Formats: sequence, C-alpha cells, structure tokens
Amino acid sequence: MSSGYPPQSPAVAKTEVPLDGECPLLAATFAYWDNILGPRVRHIWAPRGDQSLLLSDGEITFLANHTLNGEILRSAECGAVDVKFFVLAEKGVIIVSLIFDGELKGDKNTCALSIILPQTELAFYLPLHAICVERFQHVIRKGRIWMQKGYNIISVLSSEILPIMELLASMKTHRVQEDIDIKDTVLNDDDIGDSCHEDFLHKAISSHLQTCGCSMVVGSNPDKVNKIVRTLCLFLTPSERKCSRLCKADSSFKYETGLFVQGLLKDSAGSFVLPFRQVLYSPYPTTHIDVDINTVKQMPPCHEHTYNQRRYMRSELSALWRAVSEEDLAPESVIHAEQSFTPDLNIFQDVMNKDTLVKSFIDEVFMLKPGLALRSSYVTQFLLLIHRKALTLLKYIEDDTQKGKKPFRSLRTLKADLDLAVEGDLSIVMALAEKLRAGLHSFVFGRPFYTSVQERDVLMSF
Amino acid sequence: MIGSPDVVAFTKEDENGEANADPWALPDEFSVPLYSPANSNPWAKTSYAKFTKDFILISEFSEQVGPQPLLTIPDDPAVCGTFDLNYFSLRIMSVDYQASFVGHPPGSGYPRLSFVEDSRVVLGDSKEGAFAYVHHLTLYDLEARGFVRPFCMAYVSADERKIMMQFEELTHRFSQASECLKTGNRRAFAKELQRKLQDLEYTRFVLRKEEGLQREAAPPGIYSPHAVEKANELANVEKSIYEHRDLLRQISSYPSRPRRDPHAAPCHKCLTECLSEYEELLDKYGTLDDALKPAAGGRVPAGKLIKARSAKCFDKRLKTLSELCDETFYGATVGVLKETERFFSGDLCYQYSRRLDRALRRKQHVTNFLFEEDLGENSKDEGETAMPVCALNHAADLRLMRPPPIVLCSQPLELEALRILDPSDPASEISYSQESDLRPGRSRLESSPSDQTLESSEDTKCSFSSDRSAEGPMNGEHSLASARSEPADPDLIFDPDLTPDGEPNMDPERRSTSECTTAGEDEAENGGDETPVSPQEDSASREFREKGEGQGDSASLEVREEGEGHGDSASLEVREEGEGQGDSASLEVREEGEGQGDSASLEVREEGEGQGGGAEMEPESSLVQLDTACCMAQDDFLYEAAVPDGLHGSPPPTPPSAVINQEPQASLPLQGDYTVGSPRLEAPTAELGLLPPGTTEDSTSRGGVSDGSDCTMSVSAGSDRAGSPLCYGGGMTLRQRKKAGQGALKFVRQYPFAVQALWCLLSGRTLVVLGSEEGSVRRLVSALALFVPGPGRCGERVQAWLSCPFTLADLHRWKLIGLQRVASPLGSCMLHSLSRYSRYISVLDADQKTLRCPPYRGTLLANVADHRTSVRRGSTFSLHVRSTLGGLASKAFLLAFTHHLHLPVCPGEGPEAVEARRQGFLQDQLGLGPEDGQILLYLSRLVAQQYLRPSPGAATPSFTFNYTTSLLYKI
Repeated sequence: MSSGYPPQSPAVAKTEVPLDGECPLLAATFAYWDNILGPRVRHIWAPRGDQSLLLSDGEITFLANHTLNGEILRSAECGAVDVKFFVLAEKGVIIVSLIFDGELKGDKNTCALSIILPQTELAFYLPLHAICVERFQHVIRKGRIWMQKGYNIISVLSSEILPIMELLASMKTHRVQEDIDIKDTVLNDDDIGDSCHEDFLHKAISSHLQTCGCSMVVGSNPDKVNKIVRTLCLFLTPSERKCSRLCKADSSFKYETGLFVQGLLKDSAGSFVLPFRQVLYSPYPTTHIDVDINTVKQMPPCHEHTYNQRRYMRSELSALWRAVSEEDLAPESVIHAEQSFTPDLNIFQDVMNKDTLVKSFIDEVFMLKPGLALRSSYVTQFLLLIHRKALTLLKYIEDDTQKGKKPFRSLRTLKADLDLAVEGDLSIVMALAEKLRAGLHSFVFGRPFYTSVQERDVLMSF
Repeated sequence: MIGSPDVVAFTKEDENGEANADPWALPDEFSVPLYSPANSNPWAKTSYAKFTKDFILISEFSEQVGPQPLLTIPDDPAVCGTFDLNYFSLRIMSVDYQASFVGHPPGSGYPRLSFVEDSRVVLGDSKEGAFAYVHHLTLYDLEARGFVRPFCMAYVSADERKIMMQFEELTHRFSQASECLKTGNRRAFAKELQRKLQDLEYTRFVLRKEEGLQREAAPPGIYSPHAVEKANELANVEKSIYEHRDLLRQISSYPSRPRRDPHAAPCHKCLTECLSEYEELLDKYGTLDDALKPAAGGRVPAGKLIKARSAKCFDKRLKTLSELCDETFYGATVGVLKETERFFSGDLCYQYSRRLDRALRRKQHVTNFLFEEDLGENSKDEGETAMPVCALNHAADLRLMRPPPIVLCSQPLELEALRILDPSDPASEISYSQESDLRPGRSRLESSPSDQTLESSEDTKCSFSSDRSAEGPMNGEHSLASARSEPADPDLIFDPDLTPDGEPNMDPERRSTSECTTAGEDEAENGGDETPVSPQEDSASREFREKGEGQGDSASLEVREEGEGHGDSASLEVREEGEGQGDSASLEVREEGEGQGDSASLEVREEGEGQGGGAEMEPESSLVQLDTACCMAQDDFLYEAAVPDGLHGSPPPTPPSAVINQEPQASLPLQGDYTVGSPRLEAPTAELGLLPPGTTEDSTSRGGVSDGSDCTMSVSAGSDRAGSPLCYGGGMTLRQRKKAGQGALKFVRQYPFAVQALWCLLSGRTLVVLGSEEGSVRRLVSALALFVPGPGRCGERVQAWLSCPFTLADLHRWKLIGLQRVASPLGSCMLHSLSRYSRYISVLDADQKTLRCPPYRGTLLANVADHRTSVRRGSTFSLHVRSTLGGLASKAFLLAFTHHLHLPVCPGEGPEAVEARRQGFLQDQLGLGPEDGQILLYLSRLVAQQYLRPSPGAATPSFTFNYTTSLLYKI
C-alpha cells in the first residue's frame, strides 16, 4: 500500500470476482459516511483476471472515501439516488458514484456505491454510463429496503455488480464497432433472399425500429446471428452501436439489460432462456428475433412497456418489503413470493403494424449494385429520412400542444399532414421521436396504461 | 342502515388508495413512481429548477471566506433567478477534487509549487434540480496560502442527461478555457515574482546600506541590537530572494513537465511564448549569487521597500480573478466560456438531432447538393473530439496529446526531475508546433458565377441588389444578437476552420442551436413565426411590418450577422463583392468570349427524347467511393445530354439530331395578365424579328436572337445579372431557413395552386415570379427557393430580383427568377421575353395571384403543398419540407445508380427497352405518374451530372422544356 494513503480500515471486506478476459473495471466499492469517523469503506469488489492494472486496497479505499467528500451537505429527497462522476486526472481514474441514504446500525447514513475505471477507458465507458447507472439505481432501491430491515446490503449489491463487471468485460471483446462495414451485413447480399427471407428481413428491421432500436437476436449459428446483429446496428447511431454486442462463438453470453442490440447463442438443446425481469427492465421495448426459425416478435410500445416495467418494479420492491426473513429475499425468487402480482409472461407479440417505409427501403436497396458504397449511402439516406420525419413529428406535436401545456388531440391530422397514415410508419417515427424526447408515447397516446390493443382501437377510430 | 358487508365493498383499497393504510405497504421513499413525470409532459425537464436557463458559474474556495461565487455567464441576474449561488458554490467546491498535497512539503527547504492536473466532476443537487459539470483548476498567487487559489468553472443545467451526453465536448471546451486561464495566470505570476524580486533586491540594497552604515558607526567587534536586527532582516530578505528565485525557476519549468491528463488541451504556442518570457526573466536576474553581489557601479535597483515581515493574515486583500491572470488571456478565457455557454444552451433534443443530421449528411456527398445546406469542407464529425485549439487562436499540436499511463500516486511530480525546456533539444518531450495557416478557410468561399456577372454601370436601367436588403425584419434581432455575442476582444475571434467539431462561435448551425431552442427564440416564434389562420390578413400586416422594419441600414446589419454565422465570411463577402464590381468590365469581356465559344455547343433537347451520349467518366476521389464502372459511365445512362455550363468546362459532344435549331415561338400569346397599365398598348409580339434590336437583349445575346436559334445560347455576362442572394442554398442559416419555411407555408396556404409551382421547380422548369413590388417578390422567391434543386452554395440558381428582360441563357442558369413588372418601354421588353420563352418557363404573378404553367396531376407533392395543412410554424414546415425533399433526393439517387434502369440487360436490348424499363420502374415500383416521374428524372439527372462533373456548390445548369400546354391558375 502506498504510504501516501490513510491506513485501511481493518473492517473492509473484499470480494474478488473471477472474470474471463480483461475487465476495464478496476474496482467497485461500497462506502458510507460514519457520523463519527467520516467516510468509511465497507466492501470492495475487485476483478480477478487478466488485469493489466490493479489498484491496491489502500488506493481503492482512498478513492472510495473521496466520493463521499462534500456529501455531508447533501440535502436530497429521501430515497433519491444521486449520481456523481469524477474524472481525476491526477489519479488517472474515473469514478462513478451513486449516493443514497440508508440505515446502518440504526442510523441514517449517506452511502456511496462506486465503480472505478482507468481514465483511459473514458471513451469506452461513457456510452455505457446510462446502462450502468440505471441498473445500479434499481439495485440500490432494493438494497435500501434490506438496510432498512437490518440485513446485509452487500449480497444485494453483489447481485448487480458482478453482472456489470461481466457486461463491461464482454463489451470489451464483443462490442459492435462504431463503423460497420455493410459487407458484413445482410444488405450486401446479391439478392434479397440470399441470407434470409425477404419478409423476415423486413419484419426484423421494421420491428427493430419500432422498438427504438432495441433488439435481441438469438440463434444457433453465431455467424448468422452476428450478421443480423450488424445489419440491425446499421440503423443505430454510433453511440448506440457502442451499446450493442455481438454473440460469442463458443458459448453464450447472458442477456444484459440496456443494450441496444445483442446476439445470443442458443444452447445445445436449441433453446435460450430469457430472464423475464431483465427483459422487462430494459429502457425500451425489445424485439426478439430468432434467426433459426425466422420469427420476429416484439414487446408492446414504449408507454405500455414503461408502465409494465414500473408496475413490476413496484411489485418486486413490495415483495422485498413484505419479506420476513433473509431467505425470502433471494433476488430471483422474490417476485414469486408476491401473491398479488401476476405478470403477463407473454410479453412478446407478433409484429402487427405493417409499414411502408422499411418495406420500400428493403425493396429498393437491393436494386443497387452490391459491393460498392451505393447501398451504404442509401442506408444513410434512409436514416436521414426517418430521423427527419421523427424531428418533424416532434416539432409538430410541440407546436400543437405548446410544449406539452395542452393535451395532444390531433393525431389524425398529424398522420395526414406528415404522411404517416400507415400504422407501422407512425410506430417507427414515434419510436425514433421517443428516443429524442422521452415520454412522448405516453403523452400522445393518453393514459399510459392503455394496452396495445386498446391503443390500436383508439388509432383505428380516427 | 348499511350493513358492514356493503361498507367493505366501498372501502376496498385500490392501487393508489390511501384508505386502510396497510402496514406492509411499501413506503413511497422505497418505491418508484408508477408514472414518470416525463410522461405527463415530455418538455418539462426539472420544472423545480430555480434558474431559467443553463449558465456557467465560476467559484473560488477563498482562504478567507470559503467557497464563493465569482461570476456567472451570462452575467444576468434573471438567468439565475432565486437559485442560491452561494450554496451551490459550497456544494461544488466542497468536493475533494484533487487530494494532492499543495504548498510547502515537510522537510523541504523551499516552498514548492504543486502542478496539479485539472479534475472534472459531474454532480447534482436533485432537490434543487441543478446539475453541473464542474471543472476544478488551481491558479497561483504569491500572496495566497501555499501560493495556490482553487477555482472551479461549472456548467449548470437542469438537465443531467444533457451534461453526461455531452461530457466529452464539455471537457474539451472547459479544458481549453482552463488552459488559457492557467497560462495567463502563470504569466501574471511570473511578472509578480519579477516585481517581488525587484522589490526584494531594492530592500536588500537598502538594508545592506543601512547595515553598513551602522557597522561603520559602531565600534569594531560590537554590534548594536539595531545592527543585529538589520542583519537578520537582511538575511531574511536574502532568503526570500532565494525562495522567489526558486519559485520563478519552478514556474518556468511548467511547460516541460509531462502531462498526466490525456484530456488537457494545452496550447503549445502559448506555452512556448511564456517559456521564452520566463527564460528572459531568469536570464535577467541571473543566479542568486549574481543577485547578491553588490550592485555594480553603485546602481540602485528599482523597486520599493518591503517590510521584513510581509502580512499573511486575513486583513489582506486577495487578488480578483482578473488580477490573477494576464489581461489578454483572461479576456480570451471569458470569451471561450461565453461561447461555450451559447454552444450548449438550448434543448438537448435539438442539439442532438442536429448533430445526428449533420453526421448523416456528411456520409452522403452525392445528393447533398440538391437540397442540403453546406456542411463545410473541413468540418469534422460532431461527435469527434477534435484538435484542441487555443483560445488565442493558436493551432495545437496533436502529437503531444498522448494519453498517459495511469498514475496513482499521492505525491506531486518531483520538480527536480524536470528541466527547463530547450527548444533545440531533440530529446525534449515537447516539440514546437509550427504555427499553421490560421486561416485556411479564407480561400474556401469562391466567387460564384453570379458574382462574376456583376454588372458594370452600363445598363443603368436595371436595378439589382443583393438579397440583404430584404432581410429587414430580422435585422433588429440580428444586430442585438451580434452585439451580445461579440467578444470583448476582437483578437479573440475564433478561426472557423480551426475550432473543433464545428466552430463554436462561427458555425451557423451550432450558433442557431441556442437560437432555436432558448426561451427567447420560442417567444420570438410565438410572436413572429406563428402562421396566421387568415393568411391574407397576416400577409397585409406582415408586409406592412416588414416594410417598416426593413428600412434602414439593413445591409450593414445583415453583413454583421453573416459574419457571426460564417466566421470571417462577412468581410470576405463584402470584399469580394467590391472586387466583383471593380472587375466586372474585364469579367464581362472574358465571359463574352467564353460564352460565344460555348454557344455553338449549347443545346436544347426535348425532354424524354434525348439519349445523350458523350458523358464521360470523371471519377472524383472526393466523392463517395462509388463504383466508377457504374452505369453512369455508359452511353445509355443519361436521358439527355448535359447542357454545358458556359462557366464550367466544355460541353460533351452531342448528336446533331438532338439539337433544336428552331427558335421556339411562344405557343400562346400571353394574356394581359402580365402587363402593367394598358395591356393593349404593350401587347407583346411573338415575332422576335419585329422587335427593334437592342430593346430586348443585351449586346452579347443579340447575335443569338437575331439568328433565331436558341441553340446558340450564350451565357450573358453583359447585363445586370446581379450577385445572387447569399441566403439561398448552402449559405442559408437556420434562421433564414426557418423564415423561408414560414414564407413557404404561407405560400402553400395562400395559393391553392402552390403544388403546381413546386412541381415546376422540382422538375427543372424555371419559375418566374412577376410582381411590381420588390418586397413581395423577394419574399416569394425566398420561400420558393427551398424547392430549387441544387440552388448552389451562394444561390447561383436563384435570381431574387431582376428588372430587365432575361435571355435564354438566363433560363439555363436560373431556375427561379423574381422579375420586376414595370410600366415603361423596358417593361414591354420584359413582357416580350416572358411571352417568347413561355414554353420554357412558368410564371407566377404575385400581383394578380395567378400561375401559368403546365398542369400537374401527381401525388408526390400533395403532402408538402396541401393548403389545408395543420402545420403551425414555419420552422416545422421547413422540417417537413426538408424531410420530403430528402426523400425525393433518396429516390433520385436510387434512380441514378440503379444499373438495369440505364443499361441493357441482354445484348440485343435496345434503348427503347431500357427506356420502357425505366418508365416501368417509375410507375410500377415507385408508383409514380408521368409528372411525378419527371421530378425524379430531373433530380436523378442532376445527381448524375454532379457525380460525373462535380461543380462546387450549385447543380450543373440544365435546361429542359416540353410541349405541354400551360394553363392559367387563379385563386
């Protein structure tokens, strides 16, 4: 331990996490503000693997304490989880800290869950920041309940820190590159049916766009899966591509909440088990694409997805709250203990909304000669077109509602004015607009708990 | 009485109910809200934030009073509102951001300056709804404790996501400001040291003198208490001189220290300049031994006497931030921060989408010229972290920006390990960047053909003016904006071509980011951009208002606005214009020659008839790497031979059979609609030969006219072809585009036949807007210019105001012309030209509210020209138009580059079969009627021409006509 650091608390426990390959994470820490001793580190998680850089425990402790400095002034709402992000060039590290209050030994304390990365990984980490924060925030919600009940929070935090480490490690090796060569995609085929059936490709891309660019591609052949993954990633922005992952050739990754596109390999039995909770906790609805049997299924649109997601979160937290012993609180079993909540496990539906935008694009792009830059250019033009349509729609609604001050009542005129009469086209453009302006679906389609069927009824009544 | 079972039924708890609080119910503080606040209003960010817009806060951790706010940018109390800056300063400065030792290390003989790297922190106060990117830095002050003064610069916003999504850009810009401030501080610190050393030397000189006198006065070997005190004082002063010299040495070593921060943005030119100053200082004061020698020749050092014990207590006044920094550098820093505030101000949604739009457009060079604004040649991708640039306009050297290895040490770097940089030392870590050309973009703006056709004063009847005079209503806003955004120091203006990812204060799009999203802009839109329900009423009032506002020195104001938007283009444009006028005579002569030379090869071909050959492949490396063996190189690809531009290259050879050698006669005599005064008296004649020479054409084109052949079009440079307006096409700012969108929306609503006019423009038929009032004609032209394919970077294909007859060559060059209706002999000539070329043109009469053009029965444009549209604002309509036109460009690209639509698929297939396949594609695949097909054919031809013979800016001039009878549309 470096002499420049304060002595390490003898109580600091450490979990070493075995990982395959290089994990960009240096460490994760849980620290709290002791009312007598000041900032103290309670637990350290450190990867054990091919680490080129390792921090000593003293260094980790020093940095973890660092994150709580100034938090004595904290005046957040009870239950709020605030995020702090440090780039300490002097130390060569970046630290992401989530600050929250929790009960420890009967006292209300300010706590910090932090992850530490080398500063050189800043560009790698930034696109993934939202995913990590979102996931940590939810595990902290659960952890606060455990703290309130006097149980050890560490096991709860471990249930998310370890997957985050695995996620970062897997992204280091299998992340989709920012620049995708169209030659690695289905769109480079000589003809539309060479790699996959025409209607399958149309459905896949259309549904992918309707679910805000969030898709999982499952299959038995990794090359085939990755080809579709790359194809779908063509329709994402560069930063979104950095949040997408190819499938592993030899063994399957686990499903990761928050990634835009991810390839997943089926097991030897030809099946892939989807974790219901993780899929539901994705920020956007997801398209499920099976390249073995050429099926495309999609989750309900954004507003319904968000509503379902929050209902499930509340139920999960309620189940934790009601648990009477630590045995009841096994993270994966809590939802089954909840008697009042019966989730609809059939969250993936057939793609109902037909569109013309993707249909004509698919028809036309294969008319251009493959192997050149022509198709890439045409893809770009298509993206520009739908992006501008989304922006126009957003502006249209903004004007009509005076920036949300009035309810939106003119969906029919919008569809006529902006040439979005076809439901699939509207869904695609709305999904893109949702990414630009979160909450747009709920605002436009009224009550957020409308089911898709009800929504379709509403739309068809115009 | 109601029984209990009935009551139970009514008291059953619902999901959100409060009744019968369940002890097992999850408290709110542990739950998540079922409905996100964003769902109720996606436009409401954190409505509880107490400030109205984002701002920059500079705070200091004062050793006397603790954390305190120093200044905000913008310096407007209304921006911060009731937001507690003191509390927030305390919050952001209480972060232990460095945790490194500063000051006097134990066991060290001299105080040490600690060169710590900047730290960046994103934090927030969720209760206050305030989030901040905080950039911590340390300045040096000789009077401060440990010689350091901790400061921070914070970008405060209510939108946390905005900060994280733009973290890298924020880092870059604040690093730039920080480096500038720190460089200026070191310079000021060195000067302060210099002054202090002067004073110390003077003090030492005085003390030595006094001590010598007292030693002489006292008996030998006996020292009085006073003498001892003087001797001690002298020793202290000498020690102090040692210390200050050491500090000077330390601060001089700063440039040579290795940087640990990979995101620092140092300017090595500044560092080098400062270094030379430090070296001078070091040389001047020499070594300590030299300094301690008695002054040679009895020289009395300049300075003032310093008390033996300098005050280091709380009654001293600490320097202000501006006093801590060299004046030039401080001004530059504030300039950078002001620009940063403007750059990031506004709604993230629009900032992000604008960036995305630019990034996508950058990838499709082939069709951008059609309807897109100029992206700039040297601009980089928005998301790319570009080369750091000094606030003082120095170029930086990227070679020095290597990410260092991770460093985890609590001790600052040992200064002994450093050495003063020697520029001649090849082993030095720092290489001296040569100052590159600071204005590489200056030569980028080329004088447009329109500029070259600036007329000398020969044709005094014709009045021309640039479009600037039509910008009346905007001028007030622009002048205010420009006044606000003007940097304090004119030397600090950014070079647009050197700044990263689009220049901060010059890039029109970026500048308009804040314009279009700030509250002020919205208010302006509410007042001015709202499309009225009654267009006529609004038109009248608007015109009246615009007339009133448009007067005055609009030209100068507009020039200033352009300067803001395009970097140093304002002065450049003014200069070019002046040059253009001065050189017009010579230009005219030269172009006449060219025009005549080209005239023989100019041709007019009937639309759809030509199978023009001779289009030679000219692969351009600057283009997208398309297949050079593509179908366009084949003879059958082009439907018509490209009509050559008299100003651009030589024309390809064409089959003689395709050339029309007959002067087209007006198919129908024009009615009196276009006449002013008594139409009977000025009725145009269709027989050109009856017209007296010189009344219709200028001398250059007269020859062609007398020949009666329009295949001998000559590019006329001799008449009053004024410089085309700069606000069309590529040079349009977002504000201008929004204004044009407003005009277009008004046009679409006001004229039921708007779709016909748009079809004319999009299918390549020149549209003449005829009117007696210049303002209304200009407004119409400005609105319709949105629909001119390939208008050119400087709007070369648009002539906003013409007051003399036009020639066939003009139709070749201009696709949209504003024509003055005059009641004079000249007017009759103009009407004659209208009549004569009616086959080629459509005429929109702004006075009579009529349109004469061939009928359009397609559906492609129905959506963009629906007069019942519910689009409310010009900016929204502009977006809608861009979206639609982008779709057309995409389809044109497809048509242009789809091989089998231009090439025979089997050896025996003739051109007719290819043509049939092409028509089949348009009708069956794209579902287009003949008129819609014409649009795509025209656009795809432009794409092909531009690809084969790229011309900077505008589309290659082309000219088409057909024999379809024109109809007269009325409101």
